[in-house]
Amino acid sequence: MNLLHPGARVIDAATGETLTAEAIDAAEATLAAEPGPLVFHPISTTISGIARYLAAFRLGRPVMLLDPEADVAHWAERFATDEVHPDLAVLFTTSGSTGNPKLVRLSREAVLTNAEQIATVLDIGADDVAITTLPLFYSYGMSVLNSHLLRGATVILERTGIMQRDFWTAAVEHGVTSMAFVPYQYEMLRRLRFDPAKYPALRKLTQAGGRLRTELISDFAQRMATVGGSLYVMYGTTEAAPRMATLPPERLTDKLGSVGLALPGGSFDISPDDEVVYRGPNVMMGYAETAADLVKGDEMGGVLPTGDLGRIDDEGFLFITGRAKRIGKVFGVRINLDDVEKNFPVAAVPGGDQLIVYAEGISDDEARDLRTKIAEWLGTHFSGVVVRSIESLPLLPNGKVDYRALEASL
Amino acid sequence: MTELQKLREAFRTALDLPADAPVDDLHYQDNEKWDSLAHMSLIATIEDEFSVMIDTDDVINMSSFAEAVRILGKYGVTIND
Repeated sequence: MNLLHPGARVIDAATGETLTAEAIDAAEATLAAEPGPLVFHPISTTISGIARYLAAFRLGRPVMLLDPEADVAHWAERFATDEVHPDLAVLFTTSGSTGNPKLVRLSREAVLTNAEQIATVLDIGADDVAITTLPLFYSYGMSVLNSHLLRGATVILERTGIMQRDFWTAAVEHGVTSMAFVPYQYEMLRRLRFDPAKYPALRKLTQAGGRLRTELISDFAQRMATVGGSLYVMYGTTEAAPRMATLPPERLTDKLGSVGLALPGGSFDISPDDEVVYRGPNVMMGYAETAADLVKGDEMGGVLPTGDLGRIDDEGFLFITGRAKRIGKVFGVRINLDDVEKNFPVAAVPGGDQLIVYAEGISDDEARDLRTKIAEWLGTHFSGVVVRSIESLPLLPNGKVDYRALEASL
Repeated sequence: MTELQKLREAFRTALDLPADAPVDDLHYQDNEKWDSLAHMSLIATIEDEFSVMIDTDDVINMSSFAEAVRILGKYGVTIND
């Protein structure tokens, strides 16, 4: 199976540039001159960015997808290697909530299988036209590209985003049929009073990247229904390449709040401690924390504990009920960081034997007061709690708090 | 504070710029801090500051400081020094 269907088209909305076989060949020639096997790729949403990705994939060289605006030199240093596992195809940085930044190792088969699974449940055909709404170093953004390339569909490259006129002009001009958004973008669309009737070709909205409020799920499902289109609520994680479940739009009303059914070829079960476990051919090979890990084969055996808590109803629909605990310690006592966040307007991270919390834009006096309150709530001495004022919390592309960045700033 | 100063201040707040940063020539494409989230915050700040409700078309058209001045004019807010 090839990732790039011969009929697939990629068009840059701003420049009119299109992806050609020559562009991929040229990217391949460039790669041949670079030391291998690993390909470092700060990937921009451009024709050349995609050509380099596809060239690496075609050559069977693993490609590490990085944020082109971030400082990425440390990744290249840390993972410099002359040996990799032959199955290894794509590496994403994790958005994991604790510990060191690491990579998710995806095999060629996992990437291709998941693109096929997604294309099947979303019924992607050669007449579909997607538009970029998310960065390509983010697994959801990349999966939109992969699943459309696989089916010979069209992908429009747009870089300004939904808050700008250019995006909506491109959507009309190119007859976009499908748009993918994460929860905070749905909040923005509501603010923009999004009206699908303005984009006559639009038939599908997809949602992943975290839980969307059920009120917004119903709202956008209704908006799409007025034009004969659908909202697809989905569930996944980078570790699953990344999609695991989709809620069929016709079941959206009677299964409101569910993330849907496992993708074809996948299945869910719930562990004795309520954790959602996914099984499927798209599960990662494992993580990589050092260059030596890139030589390793499959360590997961197709089984992925998701870290989410959930339940499955009698028809197989999965409902996520929470996140398995993020744990910190204060004076040797384990505390649930999520509970701290539920009770105080802060982002909490573990800091050795202290609890570190970040609060947006608070004064020194407010920080002292908050510290006292949290320590009282925990039943611990105030010296176990550190409150830091931060102008704004760092966010991941999906709008969730970037705990890794917070921990890195400790 | 003049209306012009208020608008400059709104841009600096939303885009997380220093108090003396020049903003009059800012354009969406040129400033990496001016992303979609910052744009939401900018619109909210302008709406609060000038007590206006900005229409969808104007929200997505507000792609520069100069456009913001022009659009606010439509809502009866004259940006003078």
